[in-house]
Amino acid sequence: MNWLRAVALTTVFLLLVPIVILLYYGLGPFRTPEGYTLGVFRSIELSLFSSGLAAIVDIAMFTPLAYYLARGKDPFAEALVDIPVGIPHPIIGVALLILDSPLTPTGRFLLFFGINFFNTILGLVVALVIMSAPIYVKSMQPYFESRDPSAEEFAMGMGASRIRTLFSVVLPDSLKGVASASLIAMSRALGEFGSISIIAYYVLQYPFYGVSPASVTIFQLFSGAIPGGLNAAVTASAAMILVALPITLVGHLIRRR
Amino acid sequence: MIEAKVRKQLDQFSLSAELEDSGFICLAGRNGSGKTSLLRAIAGLLPVDDGHIRIDGVDVTRLPAEKRGTIMVTSNSFFPHLDVDSHITWGARLKRIKPEEGKVSKVKAELGIDFGGSVRSLSLGMRTRVALATALLASPKMILVDEAFSILHERDDFIASYRKLVSAEGMDLIFSTHDEMDGRLAEHLYVISNGTTRRQ
Repeated sequence: MNWLRAVALTTVFLLLVPIVILLYYGLGPFRTPEGYTLGVFRSIELSLFSSGLAAIVDIAMFTPLAYYLARGKDPFAEALVDIPVGIPHPIIGVALLILDSPLTPTGRFLLFFGINFFNTILGLVVALVIMSAPIYVKSMQPYFESRDPSAEEFAMGMGASRIRTLFSVVLPDSLKGVASASLIAMSRALGEFGSISIIAYYVLQYPFYGVSPASVTIFQLFSGAIPGGLNAAVTASAAMILVALPITLVGHLIRRR
Repeated sequence: MIEAKVRKQLDQFSLSAELEDSGFICLAGRNGSGKTSLLRAIAGLLPVDDGHIRIDGVDVTRLPAEKRGTIMVTSNSFFPHLDVDSHITWGARLKRIKPEEGKVSKVKAELGIDFGGSVRSLSLGMRTRVALATALLASPKMILVDEAFSILHERDDFIASYRKLVSAEGMDLIFSTHDEMDGRLAEHLYVISNGTTRRQ
């Protein structure tokens, strides 16, 4: 067991080495005021806001799916849930662009109703929901599966439908699971870059007019699109990690307790 | 009245059981004899391969659990987030049944539910009493008690009280147990062994 523990902890440490190094340089030798300007903080604010909103949408829309997969045993639906995660993320950005383009009937339909994804908070949140919902579902599903089904079967015996059982019996007793899964999904959304760098490179809406999501801002600093250079990119990255890390850790710790 | 003739293959175990009776029924058998599988089949929680299940003359074989009017009670049949009083009337409220004046307090008194508070904080025996009261007040056609009686304090007296309440409501009940001697607490005794039932 001690050897297993040693191997396990070594591999986790290896995974974290780049992050630890980045934190060291970002908070130490490379630290520069250009990495924590108001613009960078506005970016982090936009990322927190949009990822939090995406996590709320995940809870509202995808909890029934997670419960269905846990109790329904539907391998086809289970495979479908994984699709957005399994393809390169920029493709999701391109797909959203096509879906909402004036060149396509679906786009003309959506735009007719004023639904615009391109460089809007809506587009940003939709992309983040697509990328984080599978994580939310895959986190909630085992939580539901691990529940003793007796209470649910008891409720169904009294005439409650599956959906009624979910909302009246299962969810009130699963708040810890929902909080944990949504925080894990939110941290996944915070880390998204590929899709949002296409659909919402920056947002042109109040209160985030002209603000880019944090991952995009860090890329812009790194590539020189905005001044600051590598030192600023490393500093902003360290700041972003310090914001994202507690969300991930709390998400995991809630479930353990 | 329950008329069940079911067949179900579960890995290496084969359930081939028949049961035809009404009233308070005891189903006795050892571990792994098929008691829970038979009760789950009747409750609609385990689809059967072959056969039929009729309750009060209505064929429910293909009906989902929520449409059968059969409530399965185990020692884990409780909603921890509710308090005792709202738990006891949960099923009745779901079905929009308003229990007659004094019925809830009568059931609580008969079943020794002289406590309140959150169901989460109750002992296993207390929770089971609450679950059995909840099932009764939900007015099903049939209650299926899967070994839940066995953990109760003063069990025989409790079963006698519950039997009185169940028969006053005109419901049927099947309870499973390891002990054939428990047949004395019921109107009818079935013994199940290797998935096959035998009426005593």
